[in-house]
Amino acid sequence: MSIYLLPLFILLTFLYAKHKKVNVYTSFISGAKQSMGVVVSIFPYLVTIMILVSFIKISGLASLMARGVSPVFNIMGIPSELAELVLLKPFSGNGSLAILNDLFSTYGVDSYIGRSASVIVGSCDTIFYVTTLYTSKTSIKKLGYAIPVGLIATLGGAIISCLVCRII
Amino acid sequence: MSKIWFWLLIASICVLIYINPEIILPTMLSASEETLKLCLKLCAIYSVWLGLLNVMEDSGINKKLSRLLSPITRKIFGKMDDKTNELVCMNISCNILGMGGAATPLGMKAMQRMDDKSGTATRPMKMLIIFAATSMQIIPSTVIGLRITAGSQSSSNIILPTIISAVLTAILGMGLALLIERLKKRKK
Repeated sequence: MSIYLLPLFILLTFLYAKHKKVNVYTSFISGAKQSMGVVVSIFPYLVTIMILVSFIKISGLASLMARGVSPVFNIMGIPSELAELVLLKPFSGNGSLAILNDLFSTYGVDSYIGRSASVIVGSCDTIFYVTTLYTSKTSIKKLGYAIPVGLIATLGGAIISCLVCRII
Repeated sequence: MSKIWFWLLIASICVLIYINPEIILPTMLSASEETLKLCLKLCAIYSVWLGLLNVMEDSGINKKLSRLLSPITRKIFGKMDDKTNELVCMNISCNILGMGGAATPLGMKAMQRMDDKSGTATRPMKMLIIFAATSMQIIPSTVIGLRITAGSQSSSNIILPTIISAVLTAILGMGLALLIERLKKRKK
């Protein structure tokens, strides 16, 4: 069923546009034209954040910090096995997918750890990545409470994920 | 953001100089190369979505959708002009439907329109970032794909927990942000 959802949505969009007497061909082109500009302007921001992500991973800083905070996480209901995932999640989507895969092969996909990890990865986005992209075309230097609140929500989300997986 | 970036960078470089100084420059270069590959991929994705979204905009689907959602968005994001409201509504719908590739360019456009050139993020901008960061998906397709590859017996039994947890996370983020806004107002 769900495999038809997106194709039908695309088809209906084009047909509706035709019905509204829109020139679909030129309209699609003028939209697609913007993509180069978008990518060119986000590239330097992405490079900067990606360098940090690979540094954190290669230097072992991530696993070091994970060991440091895991007692605190344990009190909040996050198993120590998931500490590194929770720490890296705000920085890198690809990085956390790699960790997720590791967790699957170490603890099993359908284990409590495997399921909680899946829910943590699925339930929220990577805040630093999102912030980098969203602010890249603006004058913003000061974000105020946006980052702290986002991080707290991400951590809260991890706690909630572990809790929900324990119940369901 | 830039402070966190700086200190984490310094810390990891110090550690790397201690462990293996030769690896630092190659790591930076390969990170840059990876990003370029990612950008090419993103460029392809954005071309398709931006093209489709432009067709939707020209045919007026965007306007209809934003009229539907605007009672909610106005409450959360505060005052916005119609065009921005439209972009925010589309961004939210794409995020929820799991079309992250489409959501990002929309969010960037909305942010540009909200920018007042003061260098400080306005209230709707902060809200949009928090919402996008805690964004919920109805179907976490990437994770399910990974689970299937890893040989899961019940790959999709995480959908319900994911939705519950995502909704609660988004509420937590939004709630905190609204609370801070209210406290700020009281101070004045």
